[in-house]
Amino acid sequence: MSTISELQRLRTSTSPPRRRHNRAALFFLSPWLVGLVLITAGPVLASLVLSFTDYNLIQQPEFNGLENVQRMFTDDRLHHALGVTFLYVFVSVPLQLACALGLALLLDRGMRGLAFYRSVFYLPSLLGGSVAIAVLWRQVFGADGLINQALSLVGVAGRSWIADPGTALSTLIVLNIWTFGAPMVIFLAGLRQIPTMYYEAAAVDGASRSRQFWNITLPLLSPIIFFNLVLQIIHAFQSFTQAFVVSSGTGGPSDSTMFYTLYLYQRGFHNFDMGYASALAWLLLVIIGIFTALNFWASKRWVFYDD
Amino acid sequence: MKRFTRRDVLSMTTLAAAGTALAACGGSGGGDANGEITGDDITLRFTWWGSDARHKRTQSVIAAFTKAHPNITIKGEFKEWNGYWDSLATTVAANDAPDIIQMDEMYLASYAERGALLDLKTASKHLSTADFDAKSLATGVIDDKQYGVPTGLTVFSLVANTDLLTQYRVTLPDDATWTWDDLKTVGQAVSKASGGKVNGLQSWGFDVGSVNIWARQHGAALYSAEGKVAIPEDVLTSYWQYLLDIAKDGTAPAPSVTVERAGGSVDQSGTATNTAAIGPWWASQLTSVQAASGENLKLLRLPGEAASATPAAYYKPSMFWSVSSRSKYPAEAALFVDYLVNNQEAANVIGVDRGVPANAKIRTAIASSLTGTDKAAADYLDAVEVGDSPRVTPNGASDVEAILKRHTEDVLFARKTPQVASQEFIKELQAAIDAA
Amino acid sequence: MTDLAIPAARAETTTRIRTTTPLRSVAKHAGLILLALVMLYPVLWMVVSSLRPNEEIFRSPGLALDNLRISNYAEGWNALQSPFGHYLLNSAIVVTGCVLGNLISCSMAAYAFARLEFTAKKVLFAIMLGTVMLPIHVIIVPQYILFSQFGWINTFLPLIVPKFLATDAFFVFLMVQFIRGLPRELDEAARIDGAGHPRIFLRIILPLMVPALATTAIFTFIWTWNDFFSQLIYLTDPEKYTVPVALRSYVDATVSTSWGSMFAMSVVSLLPIFLAFLLGQRFLIKGIATTGIK
Repeated sequence: MSTISELQRLRTSTSPPRRRHNRAALFFLSPWLVGLVLITAGPVLASLVLSFTDYNLIQQPEFNGLENVQRMFTDDRLHHALGVTFLYVFVSVPLQLACALGLALLLDRGMRGLAFYRSVFYLPSLLGGSVAIAVLWRQVFGADGLINQALSLVGVAGRSWIADPGTALSTLIVLNIWTFGAPMVIFLAGLRQIPTMYYEAAAVDGASRSRQFWNITLPLLSPIIFFNLVLQIIHAFQSFTQAFVVSSGTGGPSDSTMFYTLYLYQRGFHNFDMGYASALAWLLLVIIGIFTALNFWASKRWVFYDD
Repeated sequence: MKRFTRRDVLSMTTLAAAGTALAACGGSGGGDANGEITGDDITLRFTWWGSDARHKRTQSVIAAFTKAHPNITIKGEFKEWNGYWDSLATTVAANDAPDIIQMDEMYLASYAERGALLDLKTASKHLSTADFDAKSLATGVIDDKQYGVPTGLTVFSLVANTDLLTQYRVTLPDDATWTWDDLKTVGQAVSKASGGKVNGLQSWGFDVGSVNIWARQHGAALYSAEGKVAIPEDVLTSYWQYLLDIAKDGTAPAPSVTVERAGGSVDQSGTATNTAAIGPWWASQLTSVQAASGENLKLLRLPGEAASATPAAYYKPSMFWSVSSRSKYPAEAALFVDYLVNNQEAANVIGVDRGVPANAKIRTAIASSLTGTDKAAADYLDAVEVGDSPRVTPNGASDVEAILKRHTEDVLFARKTPQVASQEFIKELQAAIDAA
Repeated sequence: MTDLAIPAARAETTTRIRTTTPLRSVAKHAGLILLALVMLYPVLWMVVSSLRPNEEIFRSPGLALDNLRISNYAEGWNALQSPFGHYLLNSAIVVTGCVLGNLISCSMAAYAFARLEFTAKKVLFAIMLGTVMLPIHVIIVPQYILFSQFGWINTFLPLIVPKFLATDAFFVFLMVQFIRGLPRELDEAARIDGAGHPRIFLRIILPLMVPALATTAIFTFIWTWNDFFSQLIYLTDPEKYTVPVALRSYVDATVSTSWGSMFAMSVVSLLPIFLAFLLGQRFLIKGIATTGIK
């Protein structure tokens, strides 16, 4: 697309030398800095300190050196939880984003009843972590649920998909895809931001719609795709509420939906082992940090910024 | 200038971190539990779990108490079960625990042995336990200290849907003498007669009560008096083998159905949806299950009791009243607990919502006002023969039901043999206790 | 300078979708409606269940409804200590505070990260992202202690004030991505005209990022409306309970649950967020084209 490369050239040539604006930055960042110092830093550091303690929430924490770290190596259930979480992240995030982007493209413009469809497809996300979701999901994937009713029509005997260790995680992946509303809305907002003049120019050039998608929409949407990818991966690693609500806090059946944060929560609040839970949280931070850094590193190859 | 700011930031954050660590060790409330009741205006915080029906009853009890003690304000804080424990742990950690705490048997030792609860014997001047029988009072004692007063009692039992049994023409044997094999036979007959539409039994394996009963009928116990895991491996193996057998031959539903129902609320169970003829329940749950089922339900005695040397059935405290050890007003808090457990007016409002009252005098007094399933549960409790209550769940074992549930699932889904599951269950539970 | 803005003559449908045959359009609508129905099944089930007697909810499967029973709504509304409207109001207060806070503080921080060069920018950005990576469950206890030292427990402050301090890094990041997508020529042009950063931020960037602001507002609204854990922990007095905490008061695993009331009130509490979305999305659609620049 000549239009874009031309614009790009125009931009790089007019880009001024970068100056530092420390004072202005201090002003714009002041709320965040105050929050960081007063509200965020203390608890975050406290949890770091607690990682090296034996802390049962009721009595004073006692330093136990690297005991919590050592324990991670031999904790089979932790390793299992990591496996479950990785599977969940790498299956559900791409699927969810693909659905969100697909629907956002369909619902972007030029169609009747857009507002209605958008709202309808967003509705499930509103329910997201609601207490009702445990029951509602059972109505779909339970023994008497929608899936089994459909299966019985074709004479196939079902089972409780939600309570079978072989399929329970898949139902949670579907649940995550089902709530694609958030990334969809962000995609929609991103699509809105793409100036129509690009498409107009492309149309004049006689570019097909798929060419327009690959050469205009995708590159110009890439910061938003990147944003959704980074955030959804972080969210998926931290996924808690849905598994908690659907498995009533157990991560069952047979630990098949034992997400990392759920395991961490159980150690902290059910076993009164907040020291170990804090250590687990920092391990998660490292894992998420690595994946986020990888994401940022890879983004240089495919994300197109206008600045 | 810049460097200074940065150092400033650093020192402030360190301070904040240190402050948070320090707060955890805050001293005791310092009030005298046997001191005079204050005439000053004070506020007590009172927390419990439950659903809306219980909230209403409890609020009106609070109103009645504060009418008699106008200088005492009681702030009720109600939560549902899961949120309750998260919230309680957080407030206790922050030295900001409510004064009066509704406590569960599973968590009692975990809080008490770490010093979060008051020994109520030190408040004997305000809180009388004279009308409790020793056995039920003992359920709240750890190391000679009374950390909780039982609100009510309940007992593990079976609930049969007599409408379903009649419909499928299955007769029950005498429940005073029946065995676990008899139970299986009855269940099989129902499953067969209904063509699989209704199962004979609602399976179990998710509630410590059933393990306790099984262990005690085999002359053992889940925990020893010292708080070690004491159930023999072969006893536990036979427990799971039984569950596996009834799942395999269709007496109980398929494993995934069993697990799904066990994970749901009372209303989603086999008994409540009339898809299982007989199910295990705490007697106090009869009213809830009956309301959901709408058919005729009946409490049965446990199988195998006749063959057991001593009755395996036992009184389980449905919950306790405890007082925070850091309460500023322990005497007043004890006075309120006294009102909850000893006052007739309060008992009339509470009814059997928190179990059939453990206070023997109150139990007799409200017996006449009970009707329907409440009466059936109370009568059952009076009639059933019980042995000594098992030791309170040891410190560190508060998660025992989650461990049990997971192993039951592993057995039902054939991921572990009953024997392997027993070995691992015992090991894991003991490790949790040792770690505390 | 201002006409540098994107050609505002953006006739919605002219360029991209020119030739849609009626048949294709019908097929598309049919597909979308079918998809919507499947996706909405659980929601529909909830609405139907809110109209059923409590004890029938789990005994009668599917969506068949014999007779409408609206008494769940009346019962649910009055089942707790205060009428349910009280909890709706509490949630509304918290949500309003959070939305305002996030809009102001996050857009400011985002402007700095997207448009300004300053010392330790990358490190600060990493710290900001890092703060969203720790699960709340290990933060909550120290944070509770901190807020209780401020005397904030059982007030809405622990829920609202952090939003005014841009602790929701998610939205900062969102806005950074949006601002970076805006043509730089705009603010450079303004700078040549002599505008300072606050002016550029207020007059150029903010109006241009209406979609991002709308997204932030909608998400803050919905997430705060649904957020359970922190509201449960910080609000101890039932009079202060918000909707998600109140909704769970109908439910208890150990006794029977007033499902009918719970579903009815879930529907009631879903309405405001659904409306918020319906209204809010108009701003998403507006985008830059219609906003224009003065």
